[in-house]
This record gives sequence, C-alpha cells and structure tokens, in this order.
Amino acid sequence: MDDTIKSARVRAQALSTQIQEFCKSEMPPDLLDRSRRHQVLSKEDYLCWMGLLQKKNWGTAHWPAEYGGQDWSPLERFTFEDQLARLGCPWVIPFGVKYVGPVIYKYGSPEQKARFLPRIVNNEDFWAQGYSEPGAGSDLAGLRTTAVRDGDYYVVNGQKVWTTYAQWADWLFCLVRTGDSQTKAQNSISFLLIDMKCEGVTVRPIDTMDGYHHVNEVWLENVRVPVENLIGVEGQGWTYAKFLLKNERTAGATVGMVRHALDRLKRAATEHGELENSLMRNRIGEFELRFMALEQVAYQSVEAMMDGTENGGEASLIKIRSSELYQHVAEATVEALGMEGLPFDIEALHKGTEPPIGPDDAAGVLKDHFYNRAATIFGGASEIQRNIIAKAVLGL
Amino acid sequence: MSADQEMLALLSESIERYTSDNYDFQKRLAVLKGARSYSEQAWKDYAEFGWLALTLGEDLGGLDADTTTLGPLMEVVGHQMLMEPILSSAVIGTRLLSLLGSAAQKDQILPTLIDGSVKLAVLDPGTPRLQWLTASENRLTGTAPMVLHGDVADKFVVPAKDIDGEVQVYVVAAPDCVRKNYRLVDGRGAASVNFEGVVAQRLGSDNSGATVEAVLADVADEAVVALCGETFGIVRALVNSTADYLKVRKQFGKTLGTNQALQHRMADMYMIQQEVGALTKAARLSMNQPRADRAQIISGARAYIGRTARMVGNEAVQMHGGIGITEELGVSHYFRRLIVNAVLLGSLDHHFENFVKLTLASSNGQH
Repeated sequence: MDDTIKSARVRAQALSTQIQEFCKSEMPPDLLDRSRRHQVLSKEDYLCWMGLLQKKNWGTAHWPAEYGGQDWSPLERFTFEDQLARLGCPWVIPFGVKYVGPVIYKYGSPEQKARFLPRIVNNEDFWAQGYSEPGAGSDLAGLRTTAVRDGDYYVVNGQKVWTTYAQWADWLFCLVRTGDSQTKAQNSISFLLIDMKCEGVTVRPIDTMDGYHHVNEVWLENVRVPVENLIGVEGQGWTYAKFLLKNERTAGATVGMVRHALDRLKRAATEHGELENSLMRNRIGEFELRFMALEQVAYQSVEAMMDGTENGGEASLIKIRSSELYQHVAEATVEALGMEGLPFDIEALHKGTEPPIGPDDAAGVLKDHFYNRAATIFGGASEIQRNIIAKAVLGL
Repeated sequence: MSADQEMLALLSESIERYTSDNYDFQKRLAVLKGARSYSEQAWKDYAEFGWLALTLGEDLGGLDADTTTLGPLMEVVGHQMLMEPILSSAVIGTRLLSLLGSAAQKDQILPTLIDGSVKLAVLDPGTPRLQWLTASENRLTGTAPMVLHGDVADKFVVPAKDIDGEVQVYVVAAPDCVRKNYRLVDGRGAASVNFEGVVAQRLGSDNSGATVEAVLADVADEAVVALCGETFGIVRALVNSTADYLKVRKQFGKTLGTNQALQHRMADMYMIQQEVGALTKAARLSMNQPRADRAQIISGARAYIGRTARMVGNEAVQMHGGIGITEELGVSHYFRRLIVNAVLLGSLDHHFENFVKLTLASSNGQH
C-alpha cells in the first residue's frame, strides 16, 4: 500500500483518539448533552463550539499551512467530521471554514485573504451562503439575482432562499448575475461577498415543520457592494462555485450522523422492549447492514481520493446512501418511541425542559426526523445525484 | 508499486488475457451444452499457469496466495462464469489438504492437484452441522444431496463427525461412491453422493477436533470471501453490459439511456456495484484479523452482496427487455449463476441472522 495512505491512517487513528478524549474532558457536558438530544442550539452555543474546535487547531486544519491550517489529508478530514458526528457533537458550521474560506484562499486577492481569512480562522465573522433562489434550487445555474456595476460598487437586486442561519450572519457569500445582455450565460455568474449590515439586506425567517428557525429568505434591494468584494474575475463565479461544491461534498459528517442515529434507535428499541420484537430487530439489522456498506464505500472513497483513483461518482453515492438511510433510521426511531414520540414541544427544545411524557430526548428525535427530510433535498437532491452518476460515471 | 502489487497486477492481467482469448461467451456455451460440465483443456491450462497452486507455498510452485491475492482470479471466475471447480478444488479443497493433511498425504496428493490431474469436490462448508456425515474406523456413512462439481471430482473432501463426535476431515476416492450426476441451474456440474460405508482417509493423524473445527471455520470464511469476489465480478459484468445496452438500444426514436427513469435505476445498480466492491475488499482485509473479529464483516458482506447482486440481476434482465431472458445473451446466464451463489456456503438468511446477532451484541450502549 501507498506510504502516504499508511501514514495518513496512523494520523487519522491518533486524531480519532484525541477527539474522543476531547469530548470526554474538554467539551462542556451540557452542550454535548443538548446536542446529542437534538435540542435547539443558539448562536452562542455554536460560537462556543466553533471556538473550542479552533482552540484545538481543528477548525481549519484542512486548510494549507500558509493560511493557518495543518494540511490535513482527506482521510484526517473525513475522520474529524466522522468522529464528531458519531459522538453526537454539534454541527461544525461549514460556511466560513469549509465553504468560503477555501474559495478566498484559492481565488481571492491578497487584500481579501488578509482581511477575511484570519477572521474565519478565529470565528470572528459568521458566514451564510447565498446560493439558492426561488427559481433556482437544484438548477442553480438558473439564478437571477443581478449585480450591476455602478462606479466602485455593484448594485445588487434579487432574492436568496433557504439561507441557513442568515439571521446570525455577518457576511453572505453570494452568486449573482453580472454583465449585459450580450454576455454568454456561463460567463455571467460572479461571486460576491456581501456585508449583511448593508442597507437593503432583509432577512425573513421561513417556518419549517421542525419548529425552529434555521432557514431564511434574504432579500437584496439596491444593496451597494464595493467592487473589492468581488472574488476573482467578474463572470467566473461558476468556477468558484464548483470548487466550493467539491468541498461541500466531503462525506464524513453524514456517515457519522447515521451511526449516531442508529445508536439512538437501538437505545429507543431496547428501552421499549422492541429488540425482542423480531420485526424491529430485523429492521435494525437491515439498517446496520446498509450502514456497513456505506461506511466501507466511504472509507474506500477517501482512499481513492488520496491515490487519485476516484471515478467521480463517490460523493453522489455517499450523499444518496447516507441521507436515505438516515431518514429510514429517524423514521424507525419515532416509531420505536411509540406514544412517547408524539408530543412535540418546541419550547422545551429551546429551553431543555422535560417533555410531558417519555424520555427527555423524545421531542429531539422528532425535530431531527423533520429536519432530515430535507437531507435528500439540500446539497443536490437525490434525483440530481442520480443524474450525476448516470451522466458523469455511466455516460448515459 | 510494491512487489506484491506488481505480482497481483501481472496475475490478474494474465488471467484476463487468457479468459478473454480462450473462454469467451461462445466457448463457454460449448462447455455448457457439452457432455462434461467443465473444459478439460481449460483446466490443463489453469494448471500450466500455476493458478491451481496459487494457495500453496512457494516451495511447491505456489504464491502463498491469501484472499487478497486470490481476488482478481475470483472476480474473473465470476465475470467469465468459469465452469471449472476453481473455488472448490484449488481454493477450499487444496487449503484443507495443506492445513490438515499429514506430510505423507501432502506429498501424495498436492502434486496431483498442482498438475491438475486430480480435482477435488468439497462438501459445502456451509452445510448445517446436523447434516454432516459420520465416520467410524475410516469409513463414512451418509449421503450428500448436492456436491458442487461432484460429477467431475476425482476425490471428495468431507468433514464428518467421528465416533466420539469429534470433527475430522476425510478424503474419499470418488469412484468408490455412488454418484447421481446432474447439472445445476447455471450449468455447473454437481452430484448427489452416497457415501454409505466407503473407505475414507482421515486428513492428518493427530489433529484434535477443535483444531479441525478451527481450520474448517477459517477456510469457510476464506471461501465466503472468495465467493463475494466472484459475485463482484458478476455484478460488474451486469452493470457494464446493461449500461452499454442502454446506450445503443433505441425505442421511440431515442436510445433507452436518455430516459431518466432508466438512468436512475442504472445509477442504483452502479451504487450497488461500488458497495459490493467495497465490502468485498473489506472482507478480504478482515481475513488478517482473528475469526471472532471478522465474523461480523464476513457474514454482513455475504448477506449484503448476495441480496443486492440478485437485485442487479433482476434489473439487468428487466432493462435488457425480452432479450434479457434469452440463452444467447450473458445476462440470463449471470442471473442463473447468482441463484446458485446465493445458496452456496450458507444461505443469505443464515449470514444475515449471524450478522444481526453479532451487531446487536457488539454495539449496544456505544458511548
């Protein structure tokens, strides 16, 4: 076997141990507990969490060393996300460290790097992602928000949607249309950084069935954005967006999340005597079998990434399998809870108070179930992922 | 590339070259329709290339092949649907002989396996223990309804319980037994064998029952892993041929592959292929671990691969349309081989049940 992979394995193994240690001794028990129970976490919770990761130098360890990272290999990166998720840790908010940060260090100007990167490393700015629009979801290239040059400014008009945690954001990275009617479609998308404090930026919450505020509409009305906030070259935004999507699709967290959810299901089934029930037992066995297949495919994809033998379908495969399995597990967990799974008290989920009946994490199971109905929709719906496999891998 | 990898690459290249030149679909069809259930010429060729000695030590001209080294061969066995008893004789039978046989037995039998003059058939290691034969004073009693390649075997390798209830492995000369030969649904040969009172030679003289059981369990695992590799070869063949077919077959003025409904089903087949490949590899690597540690992954891989391969078989037939059920295309032949593979070495349900038991026992109360 290749020595690079061998040594990466050793480092990943050590990292795994460090993360388990960290969860035991450095993670505030209350935060970990609320996260495991799928309680609603506040901005302060997340800032505390991201701060803890940064204190360990983990938050941006996948970045190149010259920008404050540790040049983590794909395997260490996978292990990091996978382990945290397995242990039920809070979501590692990706918009700064995982999405826009790499775009800035790869395509940004020296001034942009100096201005934004240290603040991302230190979690001083909260970023949000302005990609989807009402008319451009899976078909992102159909976006219509415009940015018209006016001297040293772009004047931006349009509407973004499904913008996660925009209500907390300091900055929005945003895909916009630039150029005039002569500009070819593929050369008319640009990548802009927008200060959320600008006049003309309005955030409106979207109510979702999971009952808490995580997605928003962002309205942009004559927002004046300085030209120096353009990343790279005007009209080349699609290239940067594709680079970002590639980073978005690293798979560790989704695999670990399924593991965590499966353990939760087993606990629920055990508490309700459902493991004696051969149907539930078989169902859990099926999930475990599918998880094993997912886990092996994921490990081997990471190694393929490292020795350059990817075939291009790996990310889609893992996205489809993990999200679909997660949903089945979440559904089964709600069923295993029986009546105790039915009360849904969003207040309690914010305050961590006891539900009227059942175990103290029952309502969190429902919230998680509802939220993850979107897992097969966001980040490229399952149907889009199957299109990608059919076209890019199978040549259909 | 390391020396091992280089050797592996050479081996798999030579296997692929040989089979595509000498064992294509038409040539296989001739064997299938012939009086004998295997190709004598191919078997001689395998011996000449050293494939029959792969699992043996270098002193015997072998490669000391473990399951990983055997991988490419087993994938070709599936991909080309080879009819010869490679798994039964060159893997399972040879392994049992070399692990359990006395020095004299090995000296006597192994050379005949290497040169191909003797083919072994093994009573399926997945046979439930209750159905095992019994042995006393080196005579076997009992019958075996289905011995894969039993029709062409020269010797049978038979696990049986002796008079004290201890498990030992015996070798029996095939002509001493009463055989009813038949073909399985995929064309491979088999026999129901009556061992009533036949003379049997016990492998080794001082193996304890516990030692023998341990060896049988190890070899059964190795066989399951090899079968996973064979099945991976079949799945790959079915996915490739179906994707190719969708690109050329036209209906309603366009190729089938332009229909999204079919693209998505094809994507599902591809995902299974990747999972089968990943699980096969994981199962191979697990053979380096103690038996108890690898049991979960081996039974899981067997169950998952067996089931999903059948799904791929069904889909391949469906997407080929009418031609998918004909004799003239490989699809229906792969489909039938998958049916046989699902039964060999312990049923899929048995392995699934084992997997569930181990999983629920090992991962309860994590963190």
